Amino acid sequence: MADSTAHVSRSRDLDKLLLRPGHLVGPTFEPGPELRDDLRKFATVLVVGAGGLGCELLKDLALSGFKNLEVIDMDRIEVSNLNRQFLFRLQDVGKPKAEVAAKRVMERVSGVNIVPHFCRIEDKDIEFYNHFNIIALGLDSIEARSYINAVACSFLEYDSDDKPLEETIKPMVDGGTEGFKGHARVIIPGVTPCFECTIWLFPPQVKFPLCTLAETPRTAAHCIEYAHLIKWDEVHSGKAFDPDDPEHMKWVYSEAVKRAELFGIPGVTYSLTQGVVKNIIPAIASTNAIISAACALETLKIVSGCSKTLSNYLTYNGAEGLHTKVTEFVKDMDCLICGPGVLIELDTSVTLQKFMDQLQEHPKLLLSKASVKYREKNLYIQAPPVLEELTRSNLNLPLFDLMGKIRKDIVHVTGTTTNNDKKTSCLRKLRVVFKGIDGATDMDTAGGA
Amino acid sequence: MDGEELTEQETALYDRQIRVWGVDAQRRLSKAHILVSGMKGTVVEFCKNIVLAGVGSLTLVDSREVTEEALSANFLIPPDENVYSGKTLAELCCDSLKDFNPMVRVSVEKGDISSFGGDFYGRFDVVVISSCSFATKKLINEKCRKVSKRVAFYTVDCRDSCGEIYVDLQNYTYSKKKLDETDECQLQYPSFEEAVAIPWRALPRKVTKLYLAMRVIERFEEAEGRNPGEISIADLPGVLKLKKELCDAQSFNESHVPDALLERLVSDTSEFPPVCAILGGILGQVPALNPLLMQTHFHF
Repeated sequence: MADSTAHVSRSRDLDKLLLRPGHLVGPTFEPGPELRDDLRKFATVLVVGAGGLGCELLKDLALSGFKNLEVIDMDRIEVSNLNRQFLFRLQDVGKPKAEVAAKRVMERVSGVNIVPHFCRIEDKDIEFYNHFNIIALGLDSIEARSYINAVACSFLEYDSDDKPLEETIKPMVDGGTEGFKGHARVIIPGVTPCFECTIWLFPPQVKFPLCTLAETPRTAAHCIEYAHLIKWDEVHSGKAFDPDDPEHMKWVYSEAVKRAELFGIPGVTYSLTQGVVKNIIPAIASTNAIISAACALETLKIVSGCSKTLSNYLTYNGAEGLHTKVTEFVKDMDCLICGPGVLIELDTSVTLQKFMDQLQEHPKLLLSKASVKYREKNLYIQAPPVLEELTRSNLNLPLFDLMGKIRKDIVHVTGTTTNNDKKTSCLRKLRVVFKGIDGATDMDTAGGA
Repeated sequence: MDGEELTEQETALYDRQIRVWGVDAQRRLSKAHILVSGMKGTVVEFCKNIVLAGVGSLTLVDSREVTEEALSANFLIPPDENVYSGKTLAELCCDSLKDFNPMVRVSVEKGDISSFGGDFYGRFDVVVISSCSFATKKLINEKCRKVSKRVAFYTVDCRDSCGEIYVDLQNYTYSKKKLDETDECQLQYPSFEEAVAIPWRALPRKVTKLYLAMRVIERFEEAEGRNPGEISIADLPGVLKLKKELCDAQSFNESHVPDALLERLVSDTSEFPPVCAILGGILGQVPALNPLLMQTHFHF
């Protein structure tokens, strides 16, 4: 009994939120010790990224009473991480972030279990992500966010009235920071806008036109990118540029200085060279602490319903004084990702191979190297070779047959698409409808077998 | 740390933040000496942020022992009873903080914070007080103001999911860049005693209800001789009575201090980890840099 009283006093602050009713609670909130215990026993949260935001998220979630956490990160610890990723020490440099982070938090917070995954987010099967109640993101790129967003939204199903089915909704909490600025947002697929719905919020990504770099540089960054993207290949043709090799970086720096002198442009420093070439995001501990904490708070609210959730996008700016604002963005009804899915109409005779070829040509998809999944079944997988061989025979079969001769259903495809000249991995939800089939009766005589 | 230039080790470690606030600010930070009292959740978060950032030194004061409540919101305390028993909160936090950044001198000062003299406070550039009575806050603020060099003074308190930061930078000069010219501006901060003595009617209308509610509770704890945070729902009638008295004495409309808010702050005096992290983050920005157009109070 001593253990349970210890438990009770430890969760005293959490109890205030979960054990009693209030006027800010969610519509399905049921206060009581069962809620608190369910949170401990059953709630599972995935933290994506074990860096600046991820470390803080793991600490905050563990201290907030979550007992089942998992964390995924493909990177190893570097010295420059140590000014904010407080779970890591100098002697940890070189070790996988996810593993060290999990270990440290479990050492400090008794009772929490954290499973680390040292791999890329694309390496996990989509079903892996379906096991979690919420996915909390601490990522540092648009591409990674796009991918996870597509995965979470791929679970979403709509009913015949085009309303999202509640049990298929996979909420996400997304945080991002740079210097003194940051954002925290709540994404409830089918209800709030997803990441793709609001992708227009981003200003065009900085990409210098080649002619500026080659002929008319004006800034220090132009000189650096000239050395990095043009001069390197001219002098070291064939040899790949390695941003982590100090010799390579020093070479780029000295070439950039020469070019800057030629054009009378000030400001080329070694530090700036590193920043431009490696696309370094300036970062401090406090902004990460603030944004992660907001995300952890939202995670708790969503899972327990104990209070109104953020609706739905918080921006924070601590550069001059302190400013925060919450904006309620609206879902894009035609969104490719969180909408009901891209419509593909097919004849029942179309083979899986022909279907995949069509995806390449489809203007909204332009998807190549496709892997196709229907319900729990992998119809075709590109890699690893073992599975490719196993599924190769499906390529010549009609998709209609592979899908169990059903009139219409959702199919998920992963592959690569080209966005702004950059190849990115992507996942798309497709609404496949077979022509000539009427409800339960097979009326298709014209199409043949 | 004592030389003029940053060492190579410091430059490598602080690279990402130097890109945010510059080498100059980093150098100033590495010469700053911070005093912190009251190692609860918010203050602990603040210490983490300031140690990671590379402050010159951090001195901790808190002679209390570990409690269950502390374990649930304080990330710096190892949960192993064999490790924590017998040590004070300050000692345990000190050990953990040293781990975060071996280049920062973290130490413990034993004794009662209100008994230290002006020469003690003069050793520091920034003083942060938490879990302190109203009288103690006033006393320490006065001592800081008497020191010949400027000592920045902050209090921070977290109750339930709300928090308050108070700032006193005395006479604060900073430069504001406008196009081609740089303006020298000066801010004059009121002392803690002056700030709190401002009649409520004279406060701008936008002043948050939380400020007023915190003042009522502060006075209540003072009048009853309680330690800060030593208050419960049973005290609510007394608190509401005091609120009425204070409002009447100032001819101030009672409805500006909602009973519901007072009830909430009185029932739950423990801290909530995410809120501690947010406030600790905000406070962590503060000593590092100019210019900072911080008002005297910040509420969450």
